[in-house]
Amino acid sequence: MSWREPAPGEREAEERSWAIVHAAHAQREPLPRPRRNRAPLVVLATALAIAAAVLSPPGRAVLSSIRDAVRGERNARPALFSLPTGGRLLVESSRGVWVVQRDGSKRLLSGYRDAAWSPRGLYLAAVRGHELRALEPNGEVHWSLARRGRLALPRWSSEGFRIAYLAGRSLRVVDGDGTRDRLLARRAAATPPAWLPATHEVAYVEPSGTVRVVDADSTRTVWTGRTDRPFLLQWSDDGARLLALSERSLDVFRRDGRPSSSGPISDASTAAFLPGTHRIALVERFYDRSTVRLFAADDLGMRLHRIFAGAGVFGDLAWSPDGKWLLLSWDSADQWLFIRSAAVRKVVAVSNVVGSFGANPALDGWCCPP
Amino acid sequence: MAGSGGDERAWVRGAQTGSVSDLEALFRHHWPRAYRAAYLVVHDAAAAEDIAQESFLAAVRNLDRFDRRRRFGPWLHRIVVNRAIDWSRARSLRREAGDTALADAAAPAAAGNPHSRSLAGALAELSEEHRAVIVLRHLLEYTPGEIADLLDVPRGTVNSRLRRGLDQLQGRLGAELR
Repeated sequence: MSWREPAPGEREAEERSWAIVHAAHAQREPLPRPRRNRAPLVVLATALAIAAAVLSPPGRAVLSSIRDAVRGERNARPALFSLPTGGRLLVESSRGVWVVQRDGSKRLLSGYRDAAWSPRGLYLAAVRGHELRALEPNGEVHWSLARRGRLALPRWSSEGFRIAYLAGRSLRVVDGDGTRDRLLARRAAATPPAWLPATHEVAYVEPSGTVRVVDADSTRTVWTGRTDRPFLLQWSDDGARLLALSERSLDVFRRDGRPSSSGPISDASTAAFLPGTHRIALVERFYDRSTVRLFAADDLGMRLHRIFAGAGVFGDLAWSPDGKWLLLSWDSADQWLFIRSAAVRKVVAVSNVVGSFGANPALDGWCCPP
Repeated sequence: MAGSGGDERAWVRGAQTGSVSDLEALFRHHWPRAYRAAYLVVHDAAAAEDIAQESFLAAVRNLDRFDRRRRFGPWLHRIVVNRAIDWSRARSLRREAGDTALADAAAPAAAGNPHSRSLAGALAELSEEHRAVIVLRHLLEYTPGEIADLLDVPRGTVNSRLRRGLDQLQGRLGAELR
């Protein structure tokens, strides 16, 4: 045995980490030095450094590593031929909302935005112009509701009898059949509301950053919790935990509003409970690298598992309805990754997402539980 | 170890004033030991990468406040080993079935590496505290007194952990451990 032998992954990790440490160093303010007219020297040194980086084997390795990483997974499929498991996807882009079937066929609902599945996937709630509409996945509209202000972020309650949505700065609720539209809160932040499963209690974010849970029928406040202006709220399937994700922190509350855990994070973009568990997949970005990790909701100080890491920016996450697959959008590589369980250890990559769906594709959901 | 104390001070000084080449020299010099130390404590390549990488980033963030009269290595190793111990403790507290529920596509284990068959395997049988002192003593070559400072534990504790840990390792690896 020798202590001097490299550990598994040491060399590859060194190149990845050097790129990140270098980037972090470049962004800091260096200590001041005596003023001299060094501009010509700096230009020359920079040119030489770049040339050295490109020409030297380590430099080529670093550059190659970064380029390969942002290129995404090798052997990616050129298009989404099918979903790896059951359900249907909802994808939003500059062209509208797409409904993607398991066999890969897809239908564009042109001009729609901010779409959300009803609990069993029979309907969508989506916004078109100044109207909130309930429609079938084939585009047939069942009802619509026009309101002042920018309508956004409709969300169905878990049994489908209520829809909460934003109208300008206010939070409103309408019954699932399009009747009894009413104001729930005059001021709400632009964060999607989240319904506590099997209830008519909905969590939303106030402009101050406070999370408030209210009974939508009685308008009674159930509890409030202090957070750092979260842009995402999500309940666990059993309703026992609520996550509130901000760019720099992740807070988890219990059903009664007591804090469960809280942790600082690095430039988070999204998070999602693993279906049927209290485990959270979190996407973080650190300089030019992004990571998806699994955390225990009640102990955010501990990372259970790193699911995937790569160069550039990751976008959305969506768990398959059966909880066996995780769909991760790798925006910098223009790929989607379907990541499967350890027994199979499989990653199915699909490239050309922008070409398939249009600019700025975003995952709005993978529906629906069996 | 390659690189004298004078080299290291020059690299730190250069990195503080913005020199990429000095930063790279510092990084390349310390990376292998930082990564190996983390790996031998946590036995997880992805976690070792995170721990070593974040330790370097912490160093970069605090570079301007670093006292150049001190040695950089012990400062970095203190961060690495303490983070690795924290990670291992947390994992052992919550070893859930879900730990392996998803593929770790970023850093698959290299099955052919000798670390995975002998040293690392034997170390894995020890507690994280015992692993840490053995790694600090035999990989990073600190004295027991220095290890006591790095881990904020009494020197007697370091000695007893070393003795017990080595006894267990020698039972598994025999004369290989020198």
